[in-house]
Amino acid sequence: MSRGSGAGYDRHITIFSPEGRLFQVEYAFKAVKTAGITSIGVRGKDSVCVVTQKKVPDKLLDQSSVTHLFPITKYIGLVATGITADARSLVQQARNQAAEFRFTYGYEMPVDILAKWIADKSQVYTQHAYMRPLGVVAMVMGVDEENGPLLYKCDPAGHFYGHKATSAGMKEQEAVNFLEKKMKENPSFTFDETVQTAISALQSVLQEDFKATEIEVGVVRAENPEFRALTTEEIEEHLTAISERD
Amino acid sequence: MGDSQYSFSLTTFSPSGKLVQIEHALTAVGSGQTSLGIKASNGVVIATEKKLPSILVDEASVQKIQHLTPNIGVVYSGMGPDFRVLVRKSRKQAEQYLRLYKEPIPVTQLVRETATVMQEFTQSGGVRPFGVSLLVAGYDDKGPQLYQVDPSGSYFSWKASAMGKNVSNAKTFLEKRYTEDMELDDAIHTAILTLKEGFEGEISSKNIEIGKIGADKVFRVLTPAEIDDYLAEVE
Repeated sequence: MSRGSGAGYDRHITIFSPEGRLFQVEYAFKAVKTAGITSIGVRGKDSVCVVTQKKVPDKLLDQSSVTHLFPITKYIGLVATGITADARSLVQQARNQAAEFRFTYGYEMPVDILAKWIADKSQVYTQHAYMRPLGVVAMVMGVDEENGPLLYKCDPAGHFYGHKATSAGMKEQEAVNFLEKKMKENPSFTFDETVQTAISALQSVLQEDFKATEIEVGVVRAENPEFRALTTEEIEEHLTAISERD
Repeated sequence: MGDSQYSFSLTTFSPSGKLVQIEHALTAVGSGQTSLGIKASNGVVIATEKKLPSILVDEASVQKIQHLTPNIGVVYSGMGPDFRVLVRKSRKQAEQYLRLYKEPIPVTQLVRETATVMQEFTQSGGVRPFGVSLLVAGYDDKGPQLYQVDPSGSYFSWKASAMGKNVSNAKTFLEKRYTEDMELDDAIHTAILTLKEGFEGEISSKNIEIGKIGADKVFRVLTPAEIDDYLAEVE
């Protein structure tokens, strides 16, 4: 039996290539990029914000059902970049887990613990053959009671890092370059600055001016730490503020 | 789990008698960030590079050195996500031992348990080996101890060891500097100097981590401020 030793076998399930790499996991990252959208997250001094593209492929679709922003609890938001079906499955499990945490320990699941839980799940798919990795990068956001605003990114390889700002998807690298410039001095953004930095980062990497209906903006603010999506009107206001600023 | 189809072992002998999956896992470790450990006469130090992919990452959210018990710490080279699995399993082992015997698990026993898990992942169905090597630092009734555990599940006790990128340089450096009567503070200085040898860019309290344990049998990860003090001393 030649199983496991055949050439090219390392492409099919998660085993090491001779360079010590995991091809399946690398392909999962590619899947996230090929989904064609870009998401951006920015952390301010008392708020955290994510922006993602909203592409409605068909006029007859109900606009509200096309979304990449998911509330996990009342206080934690998740923006998923990549394969939507995988994202929905992940979100459902994350919600269960967060509810179970609340029930078991009597307090809300902290953002970093949820991020670690998601990353631990992803790790299993990189080591066990019975399931493929998820084609999703998840950014988790919330305002922590002890640590303030938090923005975590979890990827198919099972990494999870807290970020000052970050990006995922097709134009991830371009957005990261843009954000690195903006965040170099460790600015402490107000809420409006946070949202507008995120939106203008997306504008800059996509090199287009989008309408308020073409993006989604999710926010959590310290004063009222509930996750919510901005309305089209609110997004409009920020877009106007950005164009007036430039 | 994953019965039938994937219940065969992924790590199999090649015609020449090698287990290539383990060799590839070691390659993954070899391309990981450098970690090292030194056993001193009165304690142990472990240290590692902490190079983050972007300045956008919040360094405070990353902890590469972890506690397994109050008197045992661990660091890795290789794949971070795999490391978390081993930390979780090892802590559970330590806790089960404590519950059964009402005393802390000896370092040798915890290392054996962890190594057993790593070995099982080279022989079980449907899984690949771990892409990490560990350095375990502990202090118990038998004194200071430093172990290295590899993806194959083999483990050895070391006076000083290094792993990851630049292993060979780091090991030669350690061989030159190591003395039997070295004290903990000396060992920390040597650890920093060794890391500095192969370090790309400016070394700072933000891009390395140091953990130490002394005769008080309390393993502790140094704060950035403490690392800054040590860095100033080796200047």
